[in-house]
Amino acid sequence: MDFTLTETQQSIVDSAAKLLTKHAGPKRARQVLATSGYDPELASALREAGFLSLMKETGALEAAMVTEAISARAGLVHFGAAAMVAPALGMEIDEPVALSRQRGPVRYGASAKTLLILDGADVRVRRVDSGEARPMRSNFGFPFAELPADGGERLSGAGAKMRAWWRVVLAVEIAGALRGCLTFTTDYVKERRQFGRAIGSFQAIQHRLADCVVLTEASRWLAYEAAFQGAPDDGAEVAISYAAAAARRVFHEVHQMNGAIGFTREHDLHVWSMRLQALALEMGGA
Amino acid sequence: MEFGWSENERSYRNQLREFLAAELPGNWNEMSKDGPGSDAQAAFSQAFCGKLAARGWLTPHWPKEYGGHDAPAWQHAILSEEMWAHGEPRGPQYMNVNWLGPTLMRYGSDEQKRFHLARISRGDVLWCQGFSEPNAGSDLASLSTRAERVGDSYAVNGQKVWTSYCKNAEFCFLLVRTDKIETRHKGITVLLVPMNTPGIEVREIDTVLGDRYFHEVFFTDVRVPVSARLGAENDGWGIAMYALQYERIGLPRYARSARTLELIVADAKSNGRVIDGAFKEKLVAARAMCEAARILYYRVIDQRAHNQPPTADSNVARLALTAADRAVGDLALELGGPAALLYGSLGDGNFRAAMPAGVATGTSEINANLVAQRWLGLPREA
Repeated sequence: MDFTLTETQQSIVDSAAKLLTKHAGPKRARQVLATSGYDPELASALREAGFLSLMKETGALEAAMVTEAISARAGLVHFGAAAMVAPALGMEIDEPVALSRQRGPVRYGASAKTLLILDGADVRVRRVDSGEARPMRSNFGFPFAELPADGGERLSGAGAKMRAWWRVVLAVEIAGALRGCLTFTTDYVKERRQFGRAIGSFQAIQHRLADCVVLTEASRWLAYEAAFQGAPDDGAEVAISYAAAAARRVFHEVHQMNGAIGFTREHDLHVWSMRLQALALEMGGA
Repeated sequence: MEFGWSENERSYRNQLREFLAAELPGNWNEMSKDGPGSDAQAAFSQAFCGKLAARGWLTPHWPKEYGGHDAPAWQHAILSEEMWAHGEPRGPQYMNVNWLGPTLMRYGSDEQKRFHLARISRGDVLWCQGFSEPNAGSDLASLSTRAERVGDSYAVNGQKVWTSYCKNAEFCFLLVRTDKIETRHKGITVLLVPMNTPGIEVREIDTVLGDRYFHEVFFTDVRVPVSARLGAENDGWGIAMYALQYERIGLPRYARSARTLELIVADAKSNGRVIDGAFKEKLVAARAMCEAARILYYRVIDQRAHNQPPTADSNVARLALTAADRAVGDLALELGGPAALLYGSLGDGNFRAAMPAGVATGTSEINANLVAQRWLGLPREA
């Protein structure tokens, strides 16, 4: 057990932060969400920096750290699918990658070249041809599309592995979005004044925000631990179960604290908060 | 960053489990139903802690000079998990190891360290903690038990309350006021008081938490030699806060809660009960809260392992420990059904252990204040 970053980890985290300062952030997210919802520039910056091969070259924990950082900076790419789920299945496939449960809207479906389909105990790997995706409108922070889920190359018996890694990726993404919500809201309650003082000086706000710290921190560490351990079924289930519950709880707390301005698109909160609900729902919560 | 256990750590945990399996009597569940402060458990702890000490497992993480083995902080965490998960056979002595020791090491005189740390590391002494008063709960700095200097001793007058373990304790880690009440936290001193000193009267308080849980302690002209003072006069607040940083996350409460979940599922299954969808979901959620408390507790242990000063991460962990205890407490009752209402049942024992989690060693509200101020940098409520 050691929570301190190694030199290698520190340099990965630092270079990811640098890249994300340039290519991500709430302003960029608002622009991207107003168009396709997918950020090809960020995706290519991450590819060129070599982050896609982190899992193979360094480890799943390091890939999880970058996934968390992308989410915390509101990046709009499906990094976890390409950099964690696909390599966990031993796949070298064309990104962008999207993950499908055969039915329902697929996150980043319209930009995907490869679809990993969870099919019971198996996984099917399907190429997505242009024109196959039908974008669907959603307010929940990501682009969604309907995609055909037939055919593809069958990976027999890979379903459990895909499910576990998918859960870990979701937990990590939730952890990042929680951090985004928490940081943004903490700054907001320090600035916003009512009754002649910062609203963050009221215990009614402080105690609930302290609970949000607990939920955010535990979500992140549990997700990292599950990634480090190679997504064991048990650890992955615990990580997503906790993170999904945290997402639902923190969502309402931070929106309450941001008040009416928090519902507007000009205020940054929604770039983190709305995706929390989508992520919590993606695997049915647990 | 890595989340694995070393071979040594794994084998240490296995040895502890074997030791517990061999040492805990067949009627241990019955014996431990009233918690660490009960007469039965206090008496059992004396022999048990002696055996732990003989193996070097009572204070493994302490420095050699104080009767320890310089073991890493993680070893203490593993020890604490196994002990608390198995009903805390160290009785009240967990407290000695968790926070009294570290506080005495930091602030004690050479003589105090020599005497008290040796006894603690041998496992033959019980302590209690005199902090709360009828009018000083969360507002601890308003405490008013007075200690007046009379020659080479202090004359102590006043009252403490919610004191655990003191019926069997030999010493009290006592906070007293040595300056005007208006000085608040600047006029508080720590005294290490032998409980057999004349003028101390202990009365048990009848509670729903179990027998011998809480007491009132009355001090009437109790003479305490100045040599029993810990640190300087009026420097007690900083010492108390230091102790609390250790105490708040001294107990890995999640370990007992997680084990309760396992036992209760096994129990339900052996009674032919089906754990269906809704219960299964609740079980996963409750277990996830235990795991969350565990990982945040580990975060704090990690800071100790790196010799970093305590931070508000310990308050974060404490909030998670309390939340997990409550979630499991409720679920264990629900899963246990009406039989869980019976005194000494698994659900009952776990529930009573969980009840004070958000109040003992600083309320959840105080912990939340500290997280808000120190972790988030929010201003104090005026």
